[in-house]
Amino acid sequence: MDQSRKPSTRVRLQWILRTAIASAVLGAVLGGAAYLLADEVAVLPAEVQAAMLVGGATFAVVFVAGTARALLLYRSWEYVVREDSLYLSRGVFTRVRTIVPYVRVQHIDTQRNPVERVLGLSTLVVYTAGSRGADVTIPGLTPERASELQTRLKVLAIESEEEDAV
Amino acid sequence: MTDDTLTNEAHRLHPLSIPYRVVEQGLGLILAVFFAGVPAFSALKGAVGAAAALGLVVLVVAAIVGYVVAYYRRFEYELTRDTFDIRSGVFARREREIPLRRIQNVDISQNVVQRALGLAEIKMETAGASQAEAHLRYVGYDRANHIQSEVSRLSRSGDAEETDAERFETVFAISERELGVLALVSADLRVISFLLVGLSIFAPSMASAFAPEMFLSPETIVQAVLGPVFAVVSILVLGLVVGVINASRYYDFTLRRAPEELRYQRGLVQKFSGTIPLDKVQTLTLRENLLARALGYASLYIETAGQGTSSNQQQTAQSAIPIAERERVVSLAKSIEPFGDVEFERPPKRARRRYAGRYLIVIGALTAVLFAAQQFVTASLYWYSPLALVVVVPAAAHLKWKHRGFHAGDEYVVTRNGFWRRSTKIVPYHRVQTVASTETVFQRRWGLGTVVVDTAGSRSLTSDDAKAVDVDVATVEQLRERVGEELYEAIRRRAARSRAEPVTSPPPTGAATD
Repeated sequence: MDQSRKPSTRVRLQWILRTAIASAVLGAVLGGAAYLLADEVAVLPAEVQAAMLVGGATFAVVFVAGTARALLLYRSWEYVVREDSLYLSRGVFTRVRTIVPYVRVQHIDTQRNPVERVLGLSTLVVYTAGSRGADVTIPGLTPERASELQTRLKVLAIESEEEDAV
Repeated sequence: MTDDTLTNEAHRLHPLSIPYRVVEQGLGLILAVFFAGVPAFSALKGAVGAAAALGLVVLVVAAIVGYVVAYYRRFEYELTRDTFDIRSGVFARREREIPLRRIQNVDISQNVVQRALGLAEIKMETAGASQAEAHLRYVGYDRANHIQSEVSRLSRSGDAEETDAERFETVFAISERELGVLALVSADLRVISFLLVGLSIFAPSMASAFAPEMFLSPETIVQAVLGPVFAVVSILVLGLVVGVINASRYYDFTLRRAPEELRYQRGLVQKFSGTIPLDKVQTLTLRENLLARALGYASLYIETAGQGTSSNQQQTAQSAIPIAERERVVSLAKSIEPFGDVEFERPPKRARRRYAGRYLIVIGALTAVLFAAQQFVTASLYWYSPLALVVVVPAAAHLKWKHRGFHAGDEYVVTRNGFWRRSTKIVPYHRVQTVASTETVFQRRWGLGTVVVDTAGSRSLTSDDAKAVDVDVATVEQLRERVGEELYEAIRRRAARSRAEPVTSPPPTGAATD
């Protein structure tokens, strides 16, 4: 308790994979557009080359930017299981630090999307009655860590429980 | 319909709801099939086709009527000692039990037709998930009021024998003067944007339709003046019309108060009535736009948990006082949540430079866009005209800064933001859900940050969380941690208080007090 923790380092791979897919899609779309447009504009000799150029360049740019962001985001991530509340700090462009008092916790979910399942990670979501309830997520936790944290938070929430968390 | 027959007995909806719902649900479909289908069919197949289409219309009508009747017969509601039960559903049966103490608001509404028929719609909302909602379409108006008072009586603890007349006192009844101020203050000049968009779309085509002589070309001074004046006047008139429409929703607004709840009713064409349980108040919001401030008026909104579900089209924070003199509004607010005297701590002065910078960038961008457009257009666009606004930037930045602030009191945290529409939010510590601080890249440059206090009240386009914006970073840390700590302190104090108090007050296990 009260120790500053970080998600698993593998979450960087998860974020990089996500950005790789996104940039591949974007690159393909723009490359395809370039392919079609280059066909229209008879000036360009090799449409395919143009498509590959545009697609590849887009992919490269977005991928590099996404990877940089993933690494910086990982560096910014921190969570602390405090005595009365859960503290989270994360963000690259906008730094967000959230305090979730245990007495306000409604329920705790763990989620795993396909990429997470492949990498052996999961995400913890803490719900409160607040309108930003689902904003409290901790990604990149190994399943053991996630269920350990889930149990610990549940115990802390019940201990501090009142009749109504509203 | 006495007290006895309402509780612990299953009831049906009002029989008149059948024809009303048939028309409500079926009319559109029937008209479409009739007016579109019949000609289409007859065009395809001649007389046989027309007959077939008419047969289809009859079938559709029969199906709709059949469904509505079945819905009516399969719908039952029952008010028990602890829950409000609903059993409904034609194809998929649903049984719902809503614990009375989870009900946040009971709202009654009637439109003109429903009023003529003596029908009313009841909506009950609970905190959070929309699943636990109750929606009765439609019961008799008297029955609706009865349900509203019974639900409030049963979910209350304490003396349940007093009548409504004894418990409630009228706290506020809107006067004609106040309605007038409301109309003026809610006048929406943003209608300007619609007008301009509309004109830009239709003017060219209209222009070609009219002969040039009919145009208001500025050949005489009179015409030169009339054109712009006419435009300004029409914008003002339109804005006022919007204001009057807004104000008519609060026609006959009355606010009554009992020890544990507020009840309001309002409406000219459509009538609404609702309850605000005082022990479920999450946030109070005091709203004053520029015009209201100049006149010395303000509005009060109360957020309880669980409003703003997808079906609720109205504003999600309930209007406790649509408009009244500021002192009156503040004293009513204090009687609901005694927040004491508030001294706002403003953001550091460098925030003004930040705003000034922001405005200058916007002006610069606008000028650049116009300049670029000018290169392609022969008519003069006066691309340098936005630069005239530079003069007002310092004043604008100062005003924005001046109306911003926060106050962390003993039991409440109060935030204030906005110049055109100033919003003061009062949050009791024991209602805080989470506290977060955010710092954007730009804020970090200035050493500023924002603290957001989240409550269980809903978040919508018009209402938002309480925020202390552009505060010094050190203060951000301090405030964030403090609100978190004060939350626990407040909860402990209240728990200790209710343990220490005599039996007549609501126990902590009862009406969900915090």
